[in-house]
Amino acid sequence: MPLLDIKNLTLEIDAAGGWIKALDMVNLTIDSGEIRALVGESGSGKSLIVKAIVGAIPEHWRIRADRMTWKGRDLLTMSVAERRIIMRNDIAVVFQDPINSLDPSASLGQQLMESIPNQLLEKGWIWNRNQQRRQIATKLLHKVGIREAELCLRSYPHEIADDICQKFMIATALVSAPRLLIADDPTRGMEITTKTQILKLMTQLNKTRDLSILFVSHDLLAISSMADTMTVLYCGQTVESGKMTQLRKRPLHPYTKALLDSAPSFRKDLPPKSTLTSLNGSIPTFQHLPIGCRLGPRCPRAQKECVKVPNVRRIHEHYYSCHFPLHRDQQ
Amino acid sequence: MTALLAVEDLTFTDVKTQGWFKRPEKFNLGPINFSINAGETLAIIGDNGSGKSLLAKLLVGAEKPSGGTILLNGQKLHYNNIKQRCLNIRMVFQHSNESLNPSITLGSIIEEPLKLNTDLEPEAREEKVKQTLSQVGLMPEHRFFYRHMLSDGQRQRIGLARALVLDPQIIVADEPFAALDPSVRSQTVNLIMKLQRELGLGFIFISHNLGIVRHVSDRTLIMQDGMAIETGKTDVIFNWPKNEYTQKLVNAYQTMVNA
Repeated sequence: MPLLDIKNLTLEIDAAGGWIKALDMVNLTIDSGEIRALVGESGSGKSLIVKAIVGAIPEHWRIRADRMTWKGRDLLTMSVAERRIIMRNDIAVVFQDPINSLDPSASLGQQLMESIPNQLLEKGWIWNRNQQRRQIATKLLHKVGIREAELCLRSYPHEIADDICQKFMIATALVSAPRLLIADDPTRGMEITTKTQILKLMTQLNKTRDLSILFVSHDLLAISSMADTMTVLYCGQTVESGKMTQLRKRPLHPYTKALLDSAPSFRKDLPPKSTLTSLNGSIPTFQHLPIGCRLGPRCPRAQKECVKVPNVRRIHEHYYSCHFPLHRDQQ
Repeated sequence: MTALLAVEDLTFTDVKTQGWFKRPEKFNLGPINFSINAGETLAIIGDNGSGKSLLAKLLVGAEKPSGGTILLNGQKLHYNNIKQRCLNIRMVFQHSNESLNPSITLGSIIEEPLKLNTDLEPEAREEKVKQTLSQVGLMPEHRFFYRHMLSDGQRQRIGLARALVLDPQIIVADEPFAALDPSVRSQTVNLIMKLQRELGLGFIFISHNLGIVRHVSDRTLIMQDGMAIETGKTDVIFNWPKNEYTQKLVNAYQTMVNA
């Protein structure tokens, strides 16, 4: 049984012109011990999915799903208290932009120790609690590879470097030994050396602690170096999902292909300075979403049928939704 | 043949005083040497705080260098000779959104450098703006638009149009691709390469994305702590890096590509 299973998640937002489907029939599953990448450009609803999983969606937005379960328990119908317990113990989130998601007026030590619940402390006198907290905090920081733990605990968010901050956020997320770590764009704006460090740390955590990771990003290079499976999102629709190796070798959806082509690192045969293949146009805004397959207006293979939303089809473990997938040509 | 742009022993020293008792903080840049020819691309890579953006600012004249010379076509560029520099070296900024004035139309944004640097009549200016807009793949009607009406990729194009409107010989860009999404990014990369082929522009850009650096640039300059530690043909640097730091960078990149 998968850890997290989402089927046909639809999220509607009320805007000036009526209700807009920000997420349209999104499917996502995460097995235990799996690293799943969620790829999409800005405005594709990646962060909305994260928020929907955590339950940080404003109450007046309409959220519907055929299935949205955590270990078989339905997340949408359960009470707030129950859901909070799951969030506390099993799911941890590292939000976008680590520096801005920390409290600038408290030291990192205070913030980390505050998030350690009383259950984790061994039985002792109440005046030993602080010391125990500090020990746990130091241990966690060592685990994520911050060497000067004492210094880090004493500093304030503005005093530390970007990559340390990201590692610190991961440490905070690991406090309650979660089963699933959701990392929302953890490598944004990083240089390649620090990026590899963060990625290494995540792969290591995945191996040693059997931690599932949902890696949300649009950095394909980072994703392909660590993820097992990938789900591609475009404007709130899942277009393709499957094994990373398979998707890279043989994408079926035109959008996945365009994404892969846009990273010149993947194509070693590409002569330098040659024109990159790219999709025309730009990402539509939420107010002007096309009907049917939302890639339609930009898709080089679009035809009349594309004004209807394509059904999800599958070949083994490889799911795609397109009327005219790329392998049709070869037949 | 004289190089389009030659930089010789360029240095810059920045001293920050922090109160009376603290020792002032010093940042030294350079000495930096490089040269590019017309139609060539130079990529600058390096850590945060290694002085990449500072070097770009020195080139376009936003900061005053403390020593060394910048030669354009064999002619020395003086810091005070703004006109000569503005007409030939133009800059594209990283945050295309923040660098555009939200309260005036895009047409007037692009027209501004023409007003300040040329003696063209209003009609001729408008004609030039139209022509530049279509050059970067936008419609002439976009000159009546405002900043908020455009998408990220289009804004980057406007930034590029503002740089191109004076027919410069060199464009300096500070992380032009960082804020763009993959599919829009490759459009912009294509556009810059196309313009370079057509106009013979020299293009200097700063980037973190080694994949794009490798694809686009002819030469690469690697910076660390204000020093240019390695410079050479991109192909050579990616295959046979000499410096320790460069090796680290290239290895990190290769492991990610091959994983």
